[in-house]
Amino acid sequence: MINPVLLIAIPLLFAFLSVMFKKADKGLLVLAVLFNVLAAFLLKETEVVIGGWKPPFGINLIADQYSIFGLIILNTVFALSVFSSFSSVKKYSTVLLVSLAALNGMMLTGDLFNLFVFLEIASISAYILSTMTKKFKGTFNYIILGALGSNLYLLGIIILYSTVGTLNMADMASKIHLVNNNVLLLALTFIFAGFAVEAKLMPFNGWVKGVYGNANDLSGGIFASAYATAAIMMFGRIFTNIFVLDGTLKTIFLTITVLTFILGEIAAFSQKNIRSTLAFSSVGQAGLIATLFLSGLSGVAMMQVANHALAKLVMFTIAGAMYVYAGTDNIEKLQGLFKKHKLIGFGFSVAALSLVGLPIFYGFYVKIFALSNLFKINSYWIPALILFSSLIEGIYYIRMLAKLWNPGEEGKESKDEYTTKLSLENTFAYAVLAVVVGLFILYISYNPEFITQGISNYLSNIAGGM
Amino acid sequence: MIQYLFIGLILIGIYGLLTQKNLIKLVVALNVLEVGVNLFIISTGYVKDGVAPILFKGVPSTNGTFVDPLPQALVLTAIVIGVGVTALALTVVRKIYEKHGTLNLDEMGSESDD
Repeated sequence: MINPVLLIAIPLLFAFLSVMFKKADKGLLVLAVLFNVLAAFLLKETEVVIGGWKPPFGINLIADQYSIFGLIILNTVFALSVFSSFSSVKKYSTVLLVSLAALNGMMLTGDLFNLFVFLEIASISAYILSTMTKKFKGTFNYIILGALGSNLYLLGIIILYSTVGTLNMADMASKIHLVNNNVLLLALTFIFAGFAVEAKLMPFNGWVKGVYGNANDLSGGIFASAYATAAIMMFGRIFTNIFVLDGTLKTIFLTITVLTFILGEIAAFSQKNIRSTLAFSSVGQAGLIATLFLSGLSGVAMMQVANHALAKLVMFTIAGAMYVYAGTDNIEKLQGLFKKHKLIGFGFSVAALSLVGLPIFYGFYVKIFALSNLFKINSYWIPALILFSSLIEGIYYIRMLAKLWNPGEEGKESKDEYTTKLSLENTFAYAVLAVVVGLFILYISYNPEFITQGISNYLSNIAGGM
Repeated sequence: MIQYLFIGLILIGIYGLLTQKNLIKLVVALNVLEVGVNLFIISTGYVKDGVAPILFKGVPSTNGTFVDPLPQALVLTAIVIGVGVTALALTVVRKIYEKHGTLNLDEMGSESDD
């Protein structure tokens, strides 16, 4: 039996220790990451009161099926990312430990203000991590938008606090029907806007290209998998468990998330660099997952969170490695790269095809499940738009894979002489990551129960199976 | 009524973020926004004729009206976070100045690799 507080406390303690014992900082990072993975798998459903103040007056940590599922994904992808890109850690161990603590805190907390604090700690660590590649303009953009978003979120929860007098999530959920509709509209708009920055929803995602598009192997993996998972899972927690939307507001938010999906995929289609493509693909996927959450299909959304986190971890780590070791991530300049690194290419291809949702891969299972359930709740235009965007997604991913495997002009026979002169170094770690995650995605494609058994509460209210 | 002033501060901050081109001014606008939010939070805890929520021995608790202490505690946290973000933003501004030699967003070029 593991106390969920340790998931936050151990990385935070090790972060302080790593400042004092500079020599041992990487050892501390490895220890904390391993501990968190282990603890996330051993965690049982429980609720912990912090500081002896009973909720709703004090802060409590909630470990239910939802947060345990998020914690397992979060800590696993964080650990895989750190281990496979260990040579890029350099002096960032302390920041990584703080961000690990904050992300775990975001998943566990049961208090809206506590969530704000963890959100800020996580985003401050993210600002620092995004300076890894010395692209400060993107970082500055991220700081301004991130700080604006958190302030709007704070304003939203304070408006609700002064109306119902509580900040506890469960207590808020039971009292939210007392709030005047106009006040609720204002407060929810602020909260949505605040979360949209971190979750990369449409009008607030201007920072994504500057940060994701300039990431290296370590920061790319952590941003696109661990941060994206935590942000979108908290979005789901707030807009499905606490505030249940209906009426006009739901239509407006759904329009925003669906438009995010479509426009994100269209923007990704027109990019020439792998990292920019993946960045806009992340935007699109965030829109898709948020749409599923807002439609009330939490279980399906969580399955897609798992699919997205695993796929983006592999792809972003490899794309970051291309930038670090080959000096560029332009698709034209890297054609034929996977002929040199076949195992890495295998993992990258499986991840990309699973994200697109091609049959025999896990993403297909998720998308069919999502579409059939959307039809069941009498929604027709959302599945149509999802299918349309998936088509765009499929085109650019398959075009990218074709270039990376087959050097040569489009429409002509591919020849080995077009193969790029560039190659990756340090490939063992990336190959292990690619093969492990690639095989895992193939495994869950045939045994989807591996994922679904952990979230049965959230799937039981969805009628029928495949 | 004074809450309108704080909402005004928040709007000034957002206006500044949208219109300014100078990086330092952007950070200042962000701070104006933060001050507006913090003052707004404090103002929600105000109770007419309320006293500081501290119980003394021997002093009767007036007529039982205290101001709400929770918003003050929240603001204390929010101020600390705001200082941290401001410090980090200014560090990044300095790095940008070293790299591009200007603080104006229009004058610095793109920083992509190709």
